[in-house]
Amino acid sequence: MHIHNYEKIWLVLAMIMIVGFLTTVTYGATAVGIEMISDDEDTIDPGALDEDPRFAEPRVEQVGENEYEAYVVAQQYIFSPDPIEVPANSTVTFYVTSPDVIHGFQVAGTNANTMVIPGEVAKLTVETEEPGEHGIVCNEYCGSGHHVMEGKLIIHPEDEFEMEDDE
Amino acid sequence: MSGDAVVTEIDHDEFNPRGTLALILVYFAILVVMWVFMYFVEFLGNDLTVIG
Repeated sequence: MHIHNYEKIWLVLAMIMIVGFLTTVTYGATAVGIEMISDDEDTIDPGALDEDPRFAEPRVEQVGENEYEAYVVAQQYIFSPDPIEVPANSTVTFYVTSPDVIHGFQVAGTNANTMVIPGEVAKLTVETEEPGEHGIVCNEYCGSGHHVMEGKLIIHPEDEFEMEDDE
Repeated sequence: MSGDAVVTEIDHDEFNPRGTLALILVYFAILVVMWVFMYFVEFLGNDLTVIG
């Protein structure tokens, strides 16, 4: 088959672009360490969250020198705890679940975003940098009050952060 | 329109659609700029990013 030189040019450019896209995503996954939210966590009984050691009392817990875990319950139409308070420059892992219907958990304006499914635990780890306040929104329609379902994530400066009830 | 008015005949390789090539290069440039901007600036710069 005979291909015109100009056609060769744009076929090759298109190929380069596809390879470039794949390389970019691979770079993100390896060098930058971006992860997808998986379904690795064990399932739980959404009707018995109050018996679960993590979710009976939604809270933020310090688990390492600079590591925190936030156990978050998203339900019609609130997130608890609200606000979620963590220090800057730390690693925070959110465990989010729902006792009722499917919700969303998105730290507005950032890439921290997951679906919250009853019976499943969504686990996402982020690194906080600058202090500041972020809104948290539910981005899955969850009922008549969906539009008012919001929470807050407060990232405190490290030296001002204190855990409320350290045990 | 009659077909009698053929002035020159050229073969496949002698016809060079420069305008088409220019358009495609412009589209390509736009795509590359959007790709770099969306991934490296908008996405990677949009902390908090999920890392685990």
